[in-house]
Amino acid sequence: MTHSPNLLVPSDRFAGAGAADPLQLHPALWRAHQLGQQRDDVVPSGFAALDAELPGGGWPTRALTELLLPHPGVGELRLLAPALVAVQQGGRSLMWFDPPALPCGWTLSALGLDLRQLVIVRARDGLAAQHPARTRLQAPADVLWALEQTLRSGHVGAVLAWLPAHVRLPSLRRLQLAAQAHDGPAFLLCEAAALVRPSVAPLRLALSPAGADTLALRIVKRRGPPSTTALHLELMPTLSAQARARARAQAGRVARQIAGETAAGVVGPAASSAFARISGRTPSRSST
Amino acid sequence: MLWLAIHLPRLSLEAWAAALPPSQQAQPLALLQGQQILAANDAAAEAGVQPGMKRATALALAPMLLLGQADARRDREALQAVAHAALAFTPSVALEGSATVLLEVATSLRFFGGADALLARLRQALAPLGHCTRIARAPTALGAALLARWQGEADAAAASRQDRQDQQDRQGLQSAQDLAALQRALDAMPITLLDAAREHAPALQAMGLQRLADLRHLPRAGLARRFGQALLDEIDRARGTRPDPRKWLCAPEAFDARLELAARADRADQVLHAAARLLVRLVAWAQARQARVQAFELRMQHEPRHRADEATPTATLLRIELAEPAAELAQLQALLRERLARVQLAAPTLELRLHCHEWVQQPPPNTELFPTRQSERSGLVRLLERLRARLGNEQVLQLQTVADHRPERSVRTLPWGVQLADPPRPVPPPAPRPRPIWLLPTPAPLPERRAMPWFEGGPLQLLAGPERIESGWWDGGLAARDYFIAQAADGSLLWIYRARLPVADPLQPLWFLQGRFG
Repeated sequence: MTHSPNLLVPSDRFAGAGAADPLQLHPALWRAHQLGQQRDDVVPSGFAALDAELPGGGWPTRALTELLLPHPGVGELRLLAPALVAVQQGGRSLMWFDPPALPCGWTLSALGLDLRQLVIVRARDGLAAQHPARTRLQAPADVLWALEQTLRSGHVGAVLAWLPAHVRLPSLRRLQLAAQAHDGPAFLLCEAAALVRPSVAPLRLALSPAGADTLALRIVKRRGPPSTTALHLELMPTLSAQARARARAQAGRVARQIAGETAAGVVGPAASSAFARISGRTPSRSST
Repeated sequence: MLWLAIHLPRLSLEAWAAALPPSQQAQPLALLQGQQILAANDAAAEAGVQPGMKRATALALAPMLLLGQADARRDREALQAVAHAALAFTPSVALEGSATVLLEVATSLRFFGGADALLARLRQALAPLGHCTRIARAPTALGAALLARWQGEADAAAASRQDRQDQQDRQGLQSAQDLAALQRALDAMPITLLDAAREHAPALQAMGLQRLADLRHLPRAGLARRFGQALLDEIDRARGTRPDPRKWLCAPEAFDARLELAARADRADQVLHAAARLLVRLVAWAQARQARVQAFELRMQHEPRHRADEATPTATLLRIELAEPAAELAQLQALLRERLARVQLAAPTLELRLHCHEWVQQPPPNTELFPTRQSERSGLVRLLERLRARLGNEQVLQLQTVADHRPERSVRTLPWGVQLADPPRPVPPPAPRPRPIWLLPTPAPLPERRAMPWFEGGPLQLLAGPERIESGWWDGGLAARDYFIAQAADGSLLWIYRARLPVADPLQPLWFLQGRFG
């Protein structure tokens, strides 16, 4: 058997024959080594390093974006805030579905968000206000219904929804279909355990804290070549400069000891109840 | 003067059938007065059921026949709804007889762009009420009413002759352009259409008098002696030779309508169809008053004998509030559907009442050709209303900041749509200090080991602080705490505090988790 050196000939011939570039044929086509394009507008994320890695150069509209967090409070809202502020400045509203705790209005104002243009929909069994240590296996049906109606109506500027890890795939598919009518970004914030389940969202990111005011971000799925390295984004600072320097020094010391442990914790079985960890009360493994 | 007459030849039957579930509306239906058939629908007529038959005869012809009892009050309410729909076009609306509504539209023609455009709009407005209508146009009120009724009777005759094609052809408008044309048309009309002539029908027939023209050629004095002055008056009013003052109808201040269900409803969604009919009437009323509805109530009356015990309420009351006043049928229906979907009936219901007294007088909003910010805002309001109707007021929230240093009291949630007393001042926060995004409403205690707070099996590194918050001695919620920003083992930042209150019990926790920096 002779090994043909011309395995790539068909594609070369295709290009050489003056046929249209696939990118010109249809916006949904892209070469595997390139970043995909976005047919619709994108909302810039406000982080140049992240925009460079996202297809189209920003958060997609008319599609779901899945963010996977080990627990709420890793800097996810500071990551999204520039895009959300841009949406609100366009005169459009935000809707949050089932947030894991009470959002502090003062901080949101300091981030530049307008509280009058923010509506919160919570599940019947309560904002985490009543159930700090809630764990849900299934997303509440009424929240999914409200989310779908909102996406379908197309009257909302941006949508954030906190969902448990185990959302049934048909529900997600319905949401993705509904999102096509939604002219704005739609973020699903899921527990990190959802990393192993398939998802219809065309863009998936895994977030994890990487020290004080720094967020490590890994693109799990995108329209384009797989991304290998994690991005480290500097968030809007919470700490003063010297406190941050102190944190860096300590983190460097601690990180060497526990690096392996946390990496395992992100996808390990204990993470299934990760959203309960906002208050540190893990039902299966009490920390007290 | 230009009069339109809307005649409803099947009013009684339609008013009764409105309460039936949609699946039964195509079945043979007939309305009874005493033991005699008063009216029958097409399916029943096809089986041979005709008005005037005995009940037993009709049942023999069509065993599946659904029978209902005539109810004058029900008919009156249905006619009222038609009159309300007409009131949106002219303030001069009057009722004539038991199934005809009269409109004087000469003054409205210019606004609606001519008689044809007005008629098209009128038909559109009447369509949701679901009645079969015969509309006639004439220069006198009674003339228009008689033309419309004549047309209705001709249709009924055609229907009984199984002559559907003829009926289809007669859907058009019966119209007399001027007085001369009206008088010509009236001359050809059967005498029995006149109210005053109905009781004398056998005598008139025996005298060989069929058409109005036959009557008109006889001496007036003799006619008045034999049949009474009323007959002559009626003819004169119809021909326009005698004044015909009318009493105009007014839409009531508050809307109240009831509908008796044809079958017992055990679940809330079974009443949806009938409630939708009431909503149509509500919208007609609102248009008549140029009102926009702010809130309405649906009362589902429970049957006394089906109530389980004395504790069961006599009625289930649904109150539906709108975020912004509206009078669009589709919007009200969607709200009602969502609310009914989550209502549990305590007992079966047989009667619905719809009541509305909270409304505002407002012109309808301008419609937009292209989506604008205004149309998006109204779309959002409708969406949130629907969510609220399905999920409940307590689930759709807005945030409000409160000027209080205690974190758990610095933010509160209010049901969306509640007008804020004072609009929240955006920035600056009470202290120019960083606050976490996620606040735990009840702080979670943290264990202390080696003089350090521990979280999830590791010590917390205190990075910033203390920030002392001591507040609330005046309202019983005294907080005396030192706040720190701490870093957890995985690098995320927490907001924790150490209680400064004198602790009696040494085992009581000192450290608490207040929030997370999201």
